Order: sequence, then C-alpha cells, then structure tokens
Amino acid sequence: MGGPKPPEAEANFMSTRRDFLTASIAGATGALLAPRLSSAAPKSMSVVHESSFIKSFDDFFVKQLAPAYEKQTGIKINYEPVSVGSLLTRLTTIVETKSGPEITATGLNWPWLFDPSLVDVTDIATETGKNLGGWYETVTEAVVINKKWKALPWGNIGQLEVYRTDWFKQAGVNKFPDNWEDLLAAGRLLKKAGHPFGFELGHGFGDNHGWLYPLLWSYGGREVDKDGKTVLLDSSETAAAVDFCRRFYKETMFEDVLGWTDVNNNKAFFGEQISCTNNASSILVVGKRDFPEIAKVTDHALNPNGPKGRYHMLNPQSHAILTHAPDQAAAKAFVKWLYDDKQLSAWLTAGDAYYAPFLHSYDNHPMWNPEPRYIPYKESLKTSRLPGWPGPPSHAMSESVAKYVVVDMFAKACRGDATKDVIATAVAQLKQIYKAK
Amino acid sequence: MAVGPASIARPAPAVDRRVSPRRVLEREGAFSWIMLAPGVLFLLAFVAYPFFYGIYLSLQDRPVAKPGLFVGLANFVNLAHDAVFWQVTRNTFLYVAVTTVLKLLGGLGMALVMNQAFRARNIVRALLLLPFIVPTILSTIAWMWIFDPTFSVINWTLVNTGLVAKGFSWLGNATLAMVAIIIVNTWRGIPFYGISILAGLQTISPDLYEAAAIDGASINQRFWHVTMPIIKPILIIVTMFSVIFTFADFQIVYALTHGGPANATQVFVTYAYDLGMSAGQLGMGAAAALTMLPALILLIIGLTLYLRRE
Repeated sequence: MGGPKPPEAEANFMSTRRDFLTASIAGATGALLAPRLSSAAPKSMSVVHESSFIKSFDDFFVKQLAPAYEKQTGIKINYEPVSVGSLLTRLTTIVETKSGPEITATGLNWPWLFDPSLVDVTDIATETGKNLGGWYETVTEAVVINKKWKALPWGNIGQLEVYRTDWFKQAGVNKFPDNWEDLLAAGRLLKKAGHPFGFELGHGFGDNHGWLYPLLWSYGGREVDKDGKTVLLDSSETAAAVDFCRRFYKETMFEDVLGWTDVNNNKAFFGEQISCTNNASSILVVGKRDFPEIAKVTDHALNPNGPKGRYHMLNPQSHAILTHAPDQAAAKAFVKWLYDDKQLSAWLTAGDAYYAPFLHSYDNHPMWNPEPRYIPYKESLKTSRLPGWPGPPSHAMSESVAKYVVVDMFAKACRGDATKDVIATAVAQLKQIYKAK
Repeated sequence: MAVGPASIARPAPAVDRRVSPRRVLEREGAFSWIMLAPGVLFLLAFVAYPFFYGIYLSLQDRPVAKPGLFVGLANFVNLAHDAVFWQVTRNTFLYVAVTTVLKLLGGLGMALVMNQAFRARNIVRALLLLPFIVPTILSTIAWMWIFDPTFSVINWTLVNTGLVAKGFSWLGNATLAMVAIIIVNTWRGIPFYGISILAGLQTISPDLYEAAAIDGASINQRFWHVTMPIIKPILIIVTMFSVIFTFADFQIVYALTHGGPANATQVFVTYAYDLGMSAGQLGMGAAAALTMLPALILLIIGLTLYLRRE
C-alpha cells in the first residue's frame, strides 16, 4: 500500500541500509584480505645452501624432498644454492637486510655469529635426538648457544688425510703412518721418489685450517683458554708444532703450497703431482667420477697422532631458521619434517656419505656400506673441534680464522722465519683480537 | 554609442601566478635540475649513501647481526696497532704504484702503435681491448692456470728453452706472488690506458707534426714537444681513474692469492672483506676500507689542481 511508511519501517529501512553498507565494506575488505587470511601458511619458502660437491645431494632436495613437501602441505620449497665458499657472505647480506630465504645452511661457528637472527630450534633438536639415538656431544659446542639450539646439524664435512696407496706402497709404506713423525718419514721417501706431499699453507678457506689447527692441538698448542680471554699460544707446545711443520714442509713438500688456496691441492692430486694432502672426501668423489684410475689408488686416513693426541676439524653443516621469516612456525614445521628419519636418512644416502651425521642411530647407517673408504670421516667426529678450541665460539674466534693467524704463523715459519718471531706475531694478533692483556 | 576611454583601453595583463608544468620546464634552472635528478638520485642512492653508511659503520663496534656501539675512532686505532694492517698498506701502495707506472708506459706504447696506419688496424685495436672486456674473474682463473706450478705455460717455456732448470713458484713465493698480481693487473689495465690515450692522439692535427718536421724536429722532439703537451691532460685523468680502480681492485687478488702467502699480497680491499665478511666485524671492515680514502683524496686534489694550473 501507498502512503508514508511507519516510523519503525523507516528505522528498519535505515538500519537495513546501514547494515548493507557495513556488510558491503566488510565483504569488500574480506574479499581483499581473503587470500591472505585463508592461506595463513606461506605459499613458498626458500632454503639457501652452499652448492654441494655431491650433485646428487642437491638434486635429491630439488627433485624429491621439495616436491614431496609441496604435495603434503601445498608449500613450495625453493632451493637456492650458492657457490662453495660464498655462503657466509650471502648469509651476512640476508641477516643485515633481514630479507631473503627463511632457512639457511650454516657451517663452523656461524650459529654463534648470527645468534640474534636465528630462531630457537631446541624443540626440534630434542625430538630428533630422542628419535635418532642422540647427538654427538662434540657438535653441541657449535650449535648450542646459551642452552638453546640455534641450528640443526645434518653432517660434518671432515678434513682428513687423502693419499695415494700405490705410491705409498712403492715407497715401502704399506700402512698410513699413525703419527706425525712417521708421516714425515714417509713423506721424505715419497718426495725422494718424485711424489711430494701437498698440504695447503695459503689463504684458502678450509684445507689450510683443516690440518694446521689439528696439528697445533696434537702437539698441545692452544690459541686461547676456555675463558676466551687468556691467550695460550706462546708455549713450548706451539713451538714444537711450528718446528715440526717447518720440517714437514721442507722435507716433504714444495714451495708452491705456501700460496695454495682450496682448489690447488685437488688440482695437484689429480695432476698426479702430490701423493698426500688434507682434504674432505671430495677428492675421492670427483676421482670416481672423472679420474677412475686415480680413484682406485686413493684412500683416506685419520689425521696423525701428536704427542698430545689426535684431532680433526669440526665443520658441522646445519640448518637454521632466520628470525625475519614471516612464518617461523611454518619454517620450523618444514625443518622438523626434514629431520624426520624418513627424509633425513634418504637425503644423507643421496649425499654419498660426504656428510658424516652427528646422530648416533646413523653410526651404522647403510650409507657407509657402499664405500668403506669414507668411514674415517665418521670416525673423526669424536675428535673434531672448532678452530679456536678450547676457546668459546665467538666473533673473536672468527676474526682469528679470517685473519689466518694460525695459518700464517705456520706459513711464515715454513718460509724461513724464526719460530719465536712467528709465535710472537701471532700472539700479538690474538691479544688484540681477544682483547686480552 | 559613446565609447569611453576605459572601454577601448586594453586591460592590463593579469599576472598569471599559476604554475604549469610547461612553465616550469621553460625555466632553465628548473629544467636543468629535472634533467639532473635521475643521475643525482642514482649517485645519492648508490654512491653517497653507501659511502656515508661506511663512515657511520667505521665508527662503531658492529658485529654482524648485532646492534652497533659507537666507539669513535677505536677501529682505526686498532688497525694502527695491527702489524698486518701496515703490511697491507705497504702491499697496496707498492701494487698501485708499480701497476700504474707499467700501465701508463704500456698503454702509451700501445696507443702510439695503434695510432699508426697498418693493415687490419681496426681488428687489432678490437683484440687489444679483450683483456679489459673479459670478466676479471674469468681471466684471473686463466692466469691461475698460467701460474700453476704443474701446468704453467710460463714455467714450461722457461724450462723447455733451458733458461731455468726448475719452474718458479709464482704464487707460493711472497715476492713472485706480488709480481704475479702486478702482471695480471697490468695486463688487464693497459687497454684502458691505450684506448684513452689513442683517443687523445687522434685529436692531434697532422699539420703540427709536419710543421715540427719542417723545422727540423726529430721523432723524439716531436713526441716530447708536440704529442706529450697535448695528451698530458688525458694522461692525468686516466692515471687518476686507474689509481682509484687499482686501489679498489678486489677480484684479481682475491681469486689469485686471497692475500697469501702469509699476507704477502693482502691489500686494503681484500683485508677489509676478510674483516667485514669472514670475521663478521662490519665496523672494523669499514674502517679498513676507509683507510685508503685519504691517499685517494690527496691524489685527486693534487691532480685536479695540476690540471687547472695547466
């Protein structure tokens, strides 16, 4: 019917219009926000890694793990490999700009460097340890900071002795020497036979520290004490290590090793120029692929014993979650999934035993069976330490490594400088680095 | 209809105070700034900001991933007490001085030859630019092989021609390692000098040489009294740029020796990189990088004053 509407109808109408507008605005806002709200989980996440020497390790992640996770959760996982030796720079950039991949690989003492930017993953570490036989004690010094796990190790890249079995036998050395003095004696014979040793003494990033720190430790030398403040390098033990290194260099090697970086010993080994070096298992891996005849006569051994023990370099490859990750829970869920036995075991197998895992239930993992020559890398875990040990992992530790304090101390002695002079220079540097008096 | 004076008088032009884009563009000052703006913004974003941020960092104790703490000049004082830093300073100045002289002489010689008329001149000119065109890191890897003790073509030649009994350890010996990086930098830098000086040589009128020859000037005299005065400003500018580039040369040293053996080839930029990136000491790294600034400023001021006087 016509005629004026009753006041309540007018009110109802006004109410309806207001409701309509409100509903419209809410609807529009909802529509705008809908994609974000309905997909609270990220569409994708990225993992940055140093490109592996083992191609199948990277391939397994890209072709198996990432698609499997996407199928399960709808989250795409991007794998961003960077060249060997450049991950630290990349990680520095990521952390400083607070942008980029949510998950990163780490090595050495990096979790300590980037501690404030890393998410606590103690819960995952605890559960993984419980499920997989517990963690090696040695690795905790690298990844546990103030009782919090800041990274989850998947395996160590060890630095061991790599040698030519045929040339050693020809020189009458049928078993790899167990201590440094015996290795020196073997080296003399091999150099005389035209097969010198080649241990890096230059400014590389791994193969120099990989044997010089263990050499120092095995003679009882230490850079700094556990307090991280008392410099201990000026000792008779250090002097003995330096003197040994000079003889080892002069009597078994050739001058060029003083300028070597990490590629040189690999190149020299495959160029059949050297009979022994210190390296990761990558030489054998590449040998099997590209130099099968050399690979047949290549083997590994633990670092030699010194008067104060046997040591190796700890370089735990781990995963850490960055605090700038928009969805830390999603990143943790992925890492937790990755460290489940089903995934981790298969991935390590794809890695061809290049990475020695820090979980005891993998001590007898089938990955060790196809190639027993990799087993020494597993055996080295118990005697592996971070550079700077027994000092606490810190920025000072990294500064000492970056300044090649220990490497150059040995290198200068090898080129002919006096033992006391090279130690004095190194001590002065360490005192400045560790702010010691 | 009577027409009053007011109606026939033209109305006084009203002052139009509206600012239209067209008017702005017509003002030369404003137009210049608009044209300059992209360049200025680019310089501010990619040169000025990083530069001042570098100064800001150098005054801080600033470990990576942690907030900085203002420490004034403490980083510079620390560097002054660091024996390696002084070795780095000596290395850098030696490296820059020797390579600059070699590149200047080599580039001048190259330009004088390229300025002559001969068959396939243009192709030769293009080929001579190759060292400058090839990415530094690639050419440095090639040089790494050239200096390799086993595969070195230099050593092979020296040994097989009987000049030496045993090849040199180019990168293992402190002196030879410095020689090696100087050789590579010189090889890479000569074309820059050569092509720049060649451009200068081509502006010299042949009449000047003819007149000098008629006056009895020898080749030497023509070079010193005709060529040199004309190309001197170019030499100064090119040298200035080259010194700046060489001070900041990172790739050759990093790829070839990484500062070894025992810091024998460590220079400012590689040391700064090691401190800032490898050690995570961003403040110290920035300070190490900035220490080359005074030398560069003095050089630039000196050469600019010389140019203005000339």
